[in-house]
Amino acid sequence: MSGPPMERPIRIAVDIGGTFTDLQILDPRSGAVHAWKTPTTPEDPSLGLVTGVREAAERFGFALAEVGLLLHGTTIATNAVLERRLPPGALLTTEGFEDVLEITRHYRRELYALAPDPPPVLVPRDRRLGVRERMRADGSVERTLDEAHLLGPLLARLDATGAEAVAVCLLHGYVNPAHEQRVRDLLAKARPGLAVSLASEISPEIREYERSSTTVLNALLVPVVRAYLERLERRLGEGGFQPVVLLVQSSGGVCSLRAAAEQPARLLLSGPSGGTLAAARLAQELGRPNLVAVDMGGTSYDVSLVQDGRVGLVTQGEVDRLPVRLPMVEMRTIGAGGGSIASVDAGGRLTVGPRSAGAKPGPVAYGRGGVEPTVTDANLVLGRLDPDFFLGGSMQLDMPATRAAMAACVAEPLGLSPEDAAEGILAVTNANLGAAVRLSLFEKGLDPRDFAMLSFGGAGGLHATDVAAELGIGEVVFPRNPGTLSAYGMLFSDLVQDIARSRMMPAVPGSLPALAALLAELRGEGAARLARDGVAPADQFLEAAADMRYHGQAFELLVRWPSVADVPDEAALARLVADFHAMHRQRFSYADETAAVEIVTLRIAAIGRLARPPVADAAPAARPARKGMRRLYEGGAWREVAVYDREALTPHDIIEGPAIVEEAFATHVVARGWRAALGPAGALIARHEGGTP
Amino acid sequence: MTAPGDRLGPIEVEVIRNALTAAAAEMDVTVWRTSRSTIVRELLDYSTAIFDAEGNNVAQSARIPSHLNSMGHGLRELLARHVDAAAWGPEDVVITNDPYCGGQHLPDILAFKPVEHEGRRIAFVGTLCHHLDMGGLAAGSYAATATEIFQEGLRIPPVKLVEGGRVNAGVWAMIRQNVRKPDLVMGDLQSQLASLDVGAAALRRLAARYGTEAMLEAGRRILDMSEATMRAAIRRMPDGVYEFEDFLDDDGIVLDQPIRLHVKLTIAGDGIEVDLSGCAKQVAGPVNATLASSQAAVMFAVMSAADDPALAANAGCYRPVRVIAPEGLVVNARHPAPVAHRIAVGHRLLNALFGALHQAVPERIPAAYYGNSYVCTFQTVAEDGSREVLVEIEIGGSGAHPAKDGVNTYASGMHNNANIPVEMIESQMPLEIARYGLLPDSGGAGARRGGLGLVREWRVLSERCVLTANMDRFHHAPYGLAGGQPANRGRLLLIRDGREEPIPPKTDGLVLLRGDVVRLETSGGGGFGDPAGREAAALARDLALGYVTPAAARDVWRS
Repeated sequence: MSGPPMERPIRIAVDIGGTFTDLQILDPRSGAVHAWKTPTTPEDPSLGLVTGVREAAERFGFALAEVGLLLHGTTIATNAVLERRLPPGALLTTEGFEDVLEITRHYRRELYALAPDPPPVLVPRDRRLGVRERMRADGSVERTLDEAHLLGPLLARLDATGAEAVAVCLLHGYVNPAHEQRVRDLLAKARPGLAVSLASEISPEIREYERSSTTVLNALLVPVVRAYLERLERRLGEGGFQPVVLLVQSSGGVCSLRAAAEQPARLLLSGPSGGTLAAARLAQELGRPNLVAVDMGGTSYDVSLVQDGRVGLVTQGEVDRLPVRLPMVEMRTIGAGGGSIASVDAGGRLTVGPRSAGAKPGPVAYGRGGVEPTVTDANLVLGRLDPDFFLGGSMQLDMPATRAAMAACVAEPLGLSPEDAAEGILAVTNANLGAAVRLSLFEKGLDPRDFAMLSFGGAGGLHATDVAAELGIGEVVFPRNPGTLSAYGMLFSDLVQDIARSRMMPAVPGSLPALAALLAELRGEGAARLARDGVAPADQFLEAAADMRYHGQAFELLVRWPSVADVPDEAALARLVADFHAMHRQRFSYADETAAVEIVTLRIAAIGRLARPPVADAAPAARPARKGMRRLYEGGAWREVAVYDREALTPHDIIEGPAIVEEAFATHVVARGWRAALGPAGALIARHEGGTP
Repeated sequence: MTAPGDRLGPIEVEVIRNALTAAAAEMDVTVWRTSRSTIVRELLDYSTAIFDAEGNNVAQSARIPSHLNSMGHGLRELLARHVDAAAWGPEDVVITNDPYCGGQHLPDILAFKPVEHEGRRIAFVGTLCHHLDMGGLAAGSYAATATEIFQEGLRIPPVKLVEGGRVNAGVWAMIRQNVRKPDLVMGDLQSQLASLDVGAAALRRLAARYGTEAMLEAGRRILDMSEATMRAAIRRMPDGVYEFEDFLDDDGIVLDQPIRLHVKLTIAGDGIEVDLSGCAKQVAGPVNATLASSQAAVMFAVMSAADDPALAANAGCYRPVRVIAPEGLVVNARHPAPVAHRIAVGHRLLNALFGALHQAVPERIPAAYYGNSYVCTFQTVAEDGSREVLVEIEIGGSGAHPAKDGVNTYASGMHNNANIPVEMIESQMPLEIARYGLLPDSGGAGARRGGLGLVREWRVLSERCVLTANMDRFHHAPYGLAGGQPANRGRLLLIRDGREEPIPPKTDGLVLLRGDVVRLETSGGGGFGDPAGREAAALARDLALGYVTPAAARDVWRS
């Protein structure tokens, strides 16, 4: 699919973040992997992307015409929602249910707030129009579609809204999409320019609010993402740069430009999923099937899991408090990062977060106007960060201002020295990070001691060994290029089309004919979509799964169904039900083998395997691994500790904590009691002496 | 980091405080993970907490405001009156659901377990779960017509369900025999026990790290700091005496007698006294509350008004607040008054408390929210006699705030729950939802408009269907403030053969027939400020969105 592979061997993954565009370049001829960073260009991110590729080509010596595949992670969809840069849209619903989008599920999150900030309503009430029709739960028609009303008064009202994008979400359309399809066909004829998204195609699953929310997000993003992809395509071709472009979806799989333009809601959590993909790849390379991946940046701490070598997926996520019911990498995010602000409240209590200095003004140390001390400032005061070697020396940190703020805002109110105040801030932070990780595992019935920790993100390395110690985790992995790890993960992605259909049925042999028909339908659609993206039959894989529950429950578990043949038989169904009971027991501590089990939604992941070129270990830089000594405040006293250069480490170097390891975009602290050395895939692996702390 | 208690620094205190909160969260996840019934897992009607050795709440994971503080109240009641503390060992779990022994109503079972380290009691852990059923004359133990607690279900006195680490089989069987859906109820009770074990293990882990003295000292300091933060917040409120009253429509038994909730709030320096002596005498029907419920409403009001997002909710926050509530009133009912719908009293008491607080801190307090849990139960009966049950809890709009409009259909005040998807209901039982939408003109008029209530219609598709309802605000509308108008009153209607007739809002056992439609209209929130002060653009937008009809704009808003 990518032209003659010998001529265009280079594979590039690009992860466009808020500040930096991260690149990873893989040359399968040598197995070499290179990392590059360039500033993001928010007004048109494709500009920074192309700039970064050019810079990398020059730096690492390849021709643009040699790039065969560009794997592209983007926050363009997420940012458009968060910043409300969305076109005016309309929503067509079953008449009498126009307000479901605004009523939401009506549960509140802020328990005590007297002036609450409710979730945004992206399509206001005057642009939500009722279609005269009604389906029953079994898919039969109660009220036929009133086409005269649709093309008469309703169309006139739609025209008056000035909507550029239209979402259609009719009750029970996931069972019988006929009315939604007819609405689309009539609109396409009457108003050919409108971008129409059907709920039965975007998220054909039961629960009208979640389906509406997902479809509305999709509809509003169609013009946004389409415009971006058109700009990107215009930039391609220059200098022979003509790769196949694939976009990273929230589920971690990639999709074609065409699929992304039709279903842009699938891109909504594209960025963070790359880190989890990298964790899955490293789990394999390191022989550590159970990894808890923690990504700590300026404002957030993201926790995800690789268990038995597989990334955990969920069937619903959210953006700006709005549900997005599409498969996503499972992630727990807490608002704790380098920018979290420390302060002392009226009762004399030290608090860290939830307020954050963010990127602007940022920590006091950045000298951009921040006046309240942050976690990053605490790291600087303690000597864990080098004021002259931040971001590889490209940014000077302001130590005097940082110490002064630490003294005034935290140390003096608590009657402590600035160093002890800073150490206290880290103690509180690390305990909170540890609690987040513990809960992520605990809620699945898992024990931290069975996991190794994978630490990445700009701030992760400063905290990882301390957090691991909090949890009783005895091994911490610092991957190579931790600042561009998401892009690294994207290098090894596959094409994935997730297709789902809700059809409530008891999980009993009598349902087999209906199940077989539904599976055949989903499989046919999956294979067709892969073929459209040019995937050869030998590279196509279809994985089935089902959302299941006990009768009477109001939520489902996603159960993989690897054993199912083209036509499911009683034995395959029995295995599915047995797996459901087993999963229920692990998650919820009990299973009821006598209770009736229901299938609510059937799923197919249609996977187009991309080649997985082998990766060679990078050669160490030809300079001493030990850069020197630095004063570090640790355990209540200043002491001299060794500082290492990550890029110059060889497999013979053994780092005894307390020590500091620096690289271009990150600093790692190997705490007292830990010993670190290089392992497979260039990862630095720290182990607690004596195993589990 | 180990430090003896007398030298415990502020850092250690904060780390221990966060660890205690994390322990409560682990207990919370355990209940969620191991419980059986929908009410626990979906409505999340449970809470977990950590207490010091005297029974003061030091950390909690409360999702439902009505649980706030009530567990600590219950535990201190047990220690003061019902359980010999010296004979309460670390492997003993005491449970009770008795509203007259520190509980709220029978479906809520409280469970507590002490935690010891090096032979000394360092803490208690506790859980509160709303159970699916505790027996009695109505399913869910929610009878609208009970006149004494004996009709409401099984009363479990404070008793050791677990003694020396072994479940008391007699107590277990006694409960099991008395409840509908025993597998689910006992499964949920089991999850409460599992949660206590998780909490106790987390506390022992902490004690092993920091030592007994440090744990005890940290507990004292945590409470002292929250008290200081709370007192600082109260000191910022102007001293004075503030009074307000609001009314419940009736108790469902005596229909022409509104129930008065009167609050006299005295702010003096850094303390608040809340005098509830002016509230109505307890009533015949199940619209009564015990002190645990009423105190939860008081604490929720004061903590919301304190307006300090960093405030750590624990027993230290309660110290500056003194509640006066003589026994025999609707806010402190005397045995054997029925109390199943104590939430109705909680909602209205909260409305009255906010009305009083508005006079002290007018810039913070919104007008009345809908103030009511719209509970209704449909039991469909098919021709073959098979039955399905649907319990719906609907909501209304939030009150207008001095700085912004109220929020349409927003779970507010003493409860917090999600709705049930239309498609789920229709897939599972012979009911059709005919309409679900915002109710125009239901928000009180004002410079700031109240949030809108909603309309929901159920159509019966089965041979027969039995309706039970318990609702309020059909006579006494949610009030406006500072010249703002009240919101609409609620309505419950039966639509049969094209004719509408009202259904009493507190109803047991109304028989519906195939084709009948039940229509609920809920209250919005009250308005804030004179409607004449509303910006023309805001009113124009309300008209464009249909939040306000042209007729109301002319007659109510006088534009």
